[in-house]
Amino acid sequence: MLETIGLSKSFGSLKALNDIDIKVGRGEVVGLVGENGAGKSTLMRILAGVEQPDEGELRRDGEPIHLSGPLDAGRQGIGLVFQEQSLLLNMSVAENLFLGREAEFTRFGLIDRNKLHAAARQQLAKVGQTIDPGKRVSELAFSERQMVELAKALTLEDRVDRDLVILLDEPTSVLEQAEIDILFARVRALRARASFVFVSHRLDEVLALSDRIYVMKDGAIVGAMPAAEASVPKLHQMMVGHGLHGEYYRENEQRPPAADAVLVARGLGSGRAYRDVDLTLHRGEVLAIAGVIGSGREELIRTIFGFEPADTGTLEVFGKTVVLTSPADAVARGIGYIPRERRVEGLVMLLSIAVNTTLAGLDGVCRRGLVDHARERAVARSWIDRLAIKTSGPDLPCSSLSGGNQQKVVLAKWLQAGSGILILDHPTRGLDVGAKEEVYRLIREVCARGTAVILTADTLEETIGLAHTILVMRDGRVTAKIDAAPGAKPAQVDLIEYMV
Amino acid sequence: MSAVPSLARWRDAAPALFLAVLVAVITVATPDFAQPGNLLGVLADTATLFVLAAGMTFVILIGGIDLAAHTIASLSSVVVALLLPTLGYGAFPVALAVGFASGLFSGVVHVRLHVPSFIATLATSGVVSGVALLVSDARTISIDAAGRSQLAWITGSVAGVPAVVLIAAAVFLACAFVQRFTRFGRRSLAIGAGEPAAWASGIRVGRQKIIAFALCGTLAALAGALLAGRLSAGTPVLGNQLLLPAIASVIVGGTAITGGAGGIGRTLIGALIITVVRIGMTFVGVNIFAQQVVFGLVLIAAVAVTIDRTKIPIVK
Repeated sequence: MLETIGLSKSFGSLKALNDIDIKVGRGEVVGLVGENGAGKSTLMRILAGVEQPDEGELRRDGEPIHLSGPLDAGRQGIGLVFQEQSLLLNMSVAENLFLGREAEFTRFGLIDRNKLHAAARQQLAKVGQTIDPGKRVSELAFSERQMVELAKALTLEDRVDRDLVILLDEPTSVLEQAEIDILFARVRALRARASFVFVSHRLDEVLALSDRIYVMKDGAIVGAMPAAEASVPKLHQMMVGHGLHGEYYRENEQRPPAADAVLVARGLGSGRAYRDVDLTLHRGEVLAIAGVIGSGREELIRTIFGFEPADTGTLEVFGKTVVLTSPADAVARGIGYIPRERRVEGLVMLLSIAVNTTLAGLDGVCRRGLVDHARERAVARSWIDRLAIKTSGPDLPCSSLSGGNQQKVVLAKWLQAGSGILILDHPTRGLDVGAKEEVYRLIREVCARGTAVILTADTLEETIGLAHTILVMRDGRVTAKIDAAPGAKPAQVDLIEYMV
Repeated sequence: MSAVPSLARWRDAAPALFLAVLVAVITVATPDFAQPGNLLGVLADTATLFVLAAGMTFVILIGGIDLAAHTIASLSSVVVALLLPTLGYGAFPVALAVGFASGLFSGVVHVRLHVPSFIATLATSGVVSGVALLVSDARTISIDAAGRSQLAWITGSVAGVPAVVLIAAAVFLACAFVQRFTRFGRRSLAIGAGEPAAWASGIRVGRQKIIAFALCGTLAALAGALLAGRLSAGTPVLGNQLLLPAIASVIVGGTAITGGAGGIGRTLIGALIITVVRIGMTFVGVNIFAQQVVFGLVLIAAVAVTIDRTKIPIVK
């Protein structure tokens, strides 16, 4: 049906995919699992025609094909249901299903609504839905929208006279369990007319739905097996690849944290995202929060930096009860934030390294209330030296730096601001191995000097390797607090037990 | 990659080069143009426009736009003309305060009510021009001979240099200082170039934006006062022809319409270009209304040429 032969793709120095061979058979559901950064999304984007491989080829029914865009993929009968839903909320279900094909439903040059709705009803019936085609998408539940997406992917049948391949990229991340069951039932029922590639973070779902499973790690396929022979621990073992190796995370440099608490949360809660969260962060501690998508950990750390205030509970920072209504409040209280979207929220890419270094701590280079440019440059130079930032000078724009060095400038910004608490939101995302090691080294270093860190990491391996203490969250609640002292690190299965 | 910096450098230098070419062409056509006396006249003609555009620069740098600046200048001219007989020099601070308040109003509406700046300031322009028409009874208020003595700081000259040129020079230095050395200047640059990062670095973005609008309003009021002085009158529609040239000055000078790059030095060059083009057109005999057509086209061309499409795939 669909296969890839020797696919490779690099982004700069980062090898995202390396020699990928996969096969999707007729009527088969193929599961694709791997940690964040393993290359699943890149592979899906290539199958969808959104990106082109550097090397290797795609074959459809044995014929080599070239996909220059999503439209091309559609012509080859490859449809997509992406995690970020692609429906237009302000339009009706029927209009969404036939977006861009309105010409097929015109009478006297005007759109014939009855004809459009009749065709829409037919499409919806394929996925077992009786939604009113005239309803606006914004009025639908998430599960119904997902069904509409699926129906939309199936409209390819009208135009392509071969079996479809439908890519499901994290389709369950916004769904409740009952809705997931409905979706899975539909996918199974549709196997007669289409094959599926299914990506999910939830391994149990992949096991439940797939016929065959590929395991990815660091841009390569590290395992392939029938679902019947797989299990959650086995898949996880393969995704992680090897046991912990303390040297990588510099466990020998992990010092016990001080006794004084710098941040205490009691009964923190926010809408449906999370509730009843208690946590205590000590000076010099790395407190890692583990959890799958939807566990509430992402929302929790954004609350602690003032992006979205909590509805309930109290927050105490450096001994004072505070209400943080904006990042500016959090920064004023000594909290810094290293975002996952480093190029958007971390740095002003077009401005110089020096300017970015003082973005949060401009007062430190002011003299009588005015910016002292000479002092600013000197400060930037000293951070360039101390953090070993590879650049030819502080006046160059941050866009001239590699990802790892950009991340160091973000760190320098908070160290310059004197933040005693750092929130690290996936700090190694998109970095290559060498740059990751540098980040780990710097985390150890700042903690040894008394900075406290709240970490949400890309992988469990990283979570365990770096943390003093691990909070595990599931469905918005803290399900476990696990000690991770050097030499006595928990195993990944110990965490997974509380995550899923 | 290597072509990009050189293109950027060319873009940086282009406005100054264009100005030099313009001046050279006109000088060849009419050698009198380059006489020191005439050049000072050109600077004096540029002064009001430059002061208005200087305020606009702050707003555009943070990524906004002020469509009320010209109405604030008109209102200011009316305030000066009305109050000069009773308050004397006191009329000028009142006019500046009115401008400050109008800019503050725009800024607060934009930031606190989350109204896009072009709508917030468009609405403010309606309010301000309405007030100007009301208090003036929709008439031109001329300043009599007694009041004119208090306009000497605008109409006079020092050692042969027109006073307005010196005032504009002072505005230039003050703005350059604010942009380079104050925290506000630095932060507004960061906001224009990357608002999410500025926000996530703890910068109080809303406050900086309000300051920018208030500054713009104050400078617009100063421009209005200068106009009132030069014309010895205040008129509620005095600034109507100035909005387009003011925005064009900022953009033609090379400040990005999307914010985050540029500054007052560029606006000075832009304002000179606009003035020289206008003088050139008048000299050639282009109708004054047709000149607005040219300024409109120049603005479109300047934005289209300078906007960096790789960074802004969708323009709304």
